[in-house]
Amino acid sequence: MLTMTTLRAFTCDDLFKFNNINLDPLTETYGIPFYLQYLAHWPEYFIVAEAPGGELMGYIMGKAEGSVAREEWHGHVTALSVAPEFRRLGLAAKLMEMLEEISERKGGFFVDLFVRVSNQVAVNMYKQLGYSVYRTVIEYYSASNGEPDEDAYDMRKALSRDTEKKSIIPLPHPVRPEDIE
Amino acid sequence: MAARGHVQDPNDRRLRPIYDYLDNGNNKMAIQQADKLLKKHKDLHCAKVLKAIGMQRTGKQDEAFNLAQEVATLEPTDDNSLQALTILYREMHRPELVTKLYEAAVRKVPLSEEYHSHLFMAYARVGDYKKMQQAGMALYKIVPKNPYYFWSVMSLVMQAISAQDEKLAQTMFLPLAERMVEKMVKEEKIEAEAEVQLYFMILERLGKCVEALNMVRGPLGEKLTSELQSRENKCMMMYQRLQLWPECNALSYKLLLKNPDDWQFYLSYFDSLFHLMDMSWSPSEEGQHCVEGHVTTTVAEAVKFVVDRMAEEDKKDSRPLRGPYMACLELIHRLRQRGCPDDKELGDPLELMVQFFGKFGDKPCCITDLKIYLHLLPPEQHTQFRNRLEELVPLGEAGEDGFRFPGDTKALQRHLCVCQLSRALGLQHALDTEGKLSLIAQLKAHYHHGLRFRKSCLKTELQFSDMYCLMAAHVYIDLWTENGDENMLWQCLGLLEEGLSFSPSNAQFKLLLLLLFCRLGAFQPVVDLYSSLDAKHVQHDTIGYLLTRYAGSLGQFAAASQSCNFSLRFFHSNQKDTSEYIIQAYKYGAFEKIPEFIAFRTRLNQSLHFAQVRTERMLLDLYTEADITLSLEESVKAMGVCAEEEDIPWDNMRDNRDLTVLVSWDPKDRELTEEHRRLSLEEESVWLKVRSLTLRLLASLALLGHAPSPRNSDKTNENGVTTKSSTLQNLLSQLDQTLQTAARITEKQTKYPFLGPPSSRLASALSSGSCHCQASALRLSLTLQELETAGLDDSSELQSQICNTFKSIVVQLQEMLSRCKGEVLEMKDRRLKTQPSLLETLVFFLETVCVVLWVASYSANVLRPLKSSLQKKKKKKKDTCTAMPVVLCGFQEWTSGLQGVVTQALDHVKAQEAQLTTLKLAALTLEEGDQQTQEECGFTRVAMDKVQSSYLGSLQELGDLLRKRADSLKSLKI
Repeated sequence: MLTMTTLRAFTCDDLFKFNNINLDPLTETYGIPFYLQYLAHWPEYFIVAEAPGGELMGYIMGKAEGSVAREEWHGHVTALSVAPEFRRLGLAAKLMEMLEEISERKGGFFVDLFVRVSNQVAVNMYKQLGYSVYRTVIEYYSASNGEPDEDAYDMRKALSRDTEKKSIIPLPHPVRPEDIE
Repeated sequence: MAARGHVQDPNDRRLRPIYDYLDNGNNKMAIQQADKLLKKHKDLHCAKVLKAIGMQRTGKQDEAFNLAQEVATLEPTDDNSLQALTILYREMHRPELVTKLYEAAVRKVPLSEEYHSHLFMAYARVGDYKKMQQAGMALYKIVPKNPYYFWSVMSLVMQAISAQDEKLAQTMFLPLAERMVEKMVKEEKIEAEAEVQLYFMILERLGKCVEALNMVRGPLGEKLTSELQSRENKCMMMYQRLQLWPECNALSYKLLLKNPDDWQFYLSYFDSLFHLMDMSWSPSEEGQHCVEGHVTTTVAEAVKFVVDRMAEEDKKDSRPLRGPYMACLELIHRLRQRGCPDDKELGDPLELMVQFFGKFGDKPCCITDLKIYLHLLPPEQHTQFRNRLEELVPLGEAGEDGFRFPGDTKALQRHLCVCQLSRALGLQHALDTEGKLSLIAQLKAHYHHGLRFRKSCLKTELQFSDMYCLMAAHVYIDLWTENGDENMLWQCLGLLEEGLSFSPSNAQFKLLLLLLFCRLGAFQPVVDLYSSLDAKHVQHDTIGYLLTRYAGSLGQFAAASQSCNFSLRFFHSNQKDTSEYIIQAYKYGAFEKIPEFIAFRTRLNQSLHFAQVRTERMLLDLYTEADITLSLEESVKAMGVCAEEEDIPWDNMRDNRDLTVLVSWDPKDRELTEEHRRLSLEEESVWLKVRSLTLRLLASLALLGHAPSPRNSDKTNENGVTTKSSTLQNLLSQLDQTLQTAARITEKQTKYPFLGPPSSRLASALSSGSCHCQASALRLSLTLQELETAGLDDSSELQSQICNTFKSIVVQLQEMLSRCKGEVLEMKDRRLKTQPSLLETLVFFLETVCVVLWVASYSANVLRPLKSSLQKKKKKKKDTCTAMPVVLCGFQEWTSGLQGVVTQALDHVKAQEAQLTTLKLAALTLEEGDQQTQEECGFTRVAMDKVQSSYLGSLQELGDLLRKRADSLKSLKI
């Protein structure tokens, strides 16, 4: 990895500077409440990488959720994005590693994320980082402008607490968005 | 609405259908159902509140409020009523009423944890920190849970943060908060990480860094586990604040050994080293360094440390890290700054950068990295540097056109990086016109060649060679701005359109196209480009200026009003949104986020762009609607414009615009500077002041018109009018002052980098003459008021003064119109020529016509009763020989003069429209051959068509509005 970055907590002021990352077509810009919710609830899971020149390079936003009793307590990647000019440096992998480490500390059983089935670049990257497809969620991404809705892969990676890696055994059938928690 | 689970209470069952109706948006049925229920159960208060919610949602605010108050005065303590009232008050934007509600509830049920907790949250919504502190403590007394105690502590911290008096914060609120936490520490009651974080926050704000440091290092610090490296980061912060340079240095050293890529620690390592050298620090005689371990005290040691890190990277089989190599350049930079000769030991910057390029040249960020250190190269080395880099770029054999192309994407990236660096070194700018043209040809060839490397055909993926295209566009812009050769601009537009056709998601292409179209005065294509950027929410604040700066000024009023609305919707939701999350931050113990959220809310509320769109939106409404669909007075009333007060935070304006959103590789001396930012904000603020004053002047003009004639009014009215005219007077003198400041600012003729902020409308507004014409028209209303009081007899001096202003206004309008004359788009010597400034001037003319006509309408209102009383007198006297008073004749001349100008303007617009429609761009032979291929010509044509049709659209909108205004002239008869 060759990120060479300052990794630090994401703050509200970063919302004014993240255009180089968020103008990417696959990166969603959410409403303010969405970011504030994450900052209020899981501030440690919202990390931004800054280049020596002060530009924002990328960020990861996540949360911890699920029932401990049912061994579903886990870290979730809500958003991960790297600005085009800072790609191919291993930054996404570094940010994922940090999120996994935080989830380990919280005693999570696994880390999961959703990705567009068509986003082959991302799917492959996650596979390289040790993630596998746990299930397909049908029409998870609602499309605008008349195009069909798109399916998502729910990808998972087991953490050390899940010694038998039970959490990542793939489901035989796809599920509908309303069936996921 | 709250989910209602177990239905045991019979009231719950009865209320259920009303909840359902409300949830489904069927407010009418909810009201009916509530009425039905209330007939049977008079005391079911909640039904009343639910009815009130239904009424509120159907626009019956006053009735809803009264109904709610009936219940509220009973001080209800049932959950249903309380929750329903909370919802209602929130929808009414009256959060302060919720506090009253729960204050009463806890008085009646003093041991309810739930009500106390609601009360705390209600205070949080209104930001009453003192009450929050008390409510938190009251909660803790009922239920001794730690979070409640710390809610109270945090509220003390918030009192400190919001205190006007810093002394009060430091001597009262913070020490009290500290003591409260200390008490818990002593009793060993600290449980959560959040509590330790808060303790740290308090100590830090008190400047008790030693205590903070000890706390973090001690057992309490062990609780800091959520955030990675939390303890180390906090220690580092404290070392720096305490200027404990040995510790700072040793910790940086340690952390760098662990991760030689963490840039922030190189900076603290070097900083601390130089501090240590300046104070000639040395370890104690026993060789003891510091608690953090080994301290670096000499440059030689630091050089060795960096060189070792690089050597280690070189040894590795895996991909090397950039950090150590960059650190080496950073250290040279710092040593040179200090005039320290030791930098030689690190090597020659040129060699180091060539080495860096060798390792990382195929990464897209190589340019961003090296750009920071280009100043380490003396100018005479620039060309040599580029040549050295070129040697490291593997290119194929030269083809027919003499260009050598890369064979894969890595080679492409390297070649691109060399181009980017040459631009950043100023080598491209130094080329003459011919050199630049051949550079463009080269860049375009590389762009087209590189298109073959894309494997997928996803719309969302960019082309590897896109940046060549963008750079060629930049060089075109250089040529256009240097030589004024508009052909370069057209070719540039064509190239970018072509780029977009291959990379439909490239935001940089869109942004640059957008900027160029705006500069060309063609707003129509901008609407689609902007919407395809899918800018949302906070982006309306950061890049919305690209849209709103131009929409109105180019006469695209409908689009302008829409783009203002996008932004306004975002800003208005901010206030409500943030309060909710401040409360959440309390609940989850994210205490450090609370001041952050509040600062964020303030930053948005004080946004320059927010104030701009607020003001422009109202002006737009007036210009396009007032006296056409509604009277000026009604319009002003509907918008709630207040002449006396304003809500723009002039002294704390925040410039949230993202002024570097367009990628630039320009050399340092052409880049956007802090000074540019300051000047741009200053200019925009003054322009905003002009606009805001204009708006308020129009509001007070509307009020003047409203005032009954003082002749048949009693004393209070007379006083009322005096206040109104003094407001007008006051605003006019503020406008005069602002216009003087404006003139001073425009004299400076600040030029911003092309890719930086657009210049404000200030200069063109002043040169169009609109500001002064509007000011004299508005001032006229004051003189007319004097006439109203004085009457027609014995006021000949006043009358002739008024008549002179009448005449002068017509003359000024004529002059403005003459500045609009010319062809906005024409073909000259088989080339297309634009004059977008004509459009902008025409818009100023139109706005001024609106203002003048409103004043004229006010004049008519003043003169009409004067005239009729005169006629009555005449009839009585049967005196036919009395001459008509000067002012009445003058007014008639004035209106016909105005009629004349407006007609001329309409003719001009019509002629322009006709000229544009007949202009056949197809007849334009674009020069194919060495400059543009046939395909490229096609894209250029597309751009030209867009500009043509946009001009036409602007002219049509302007013409329509002028026609409507001309109609209102008819009502000016007296």
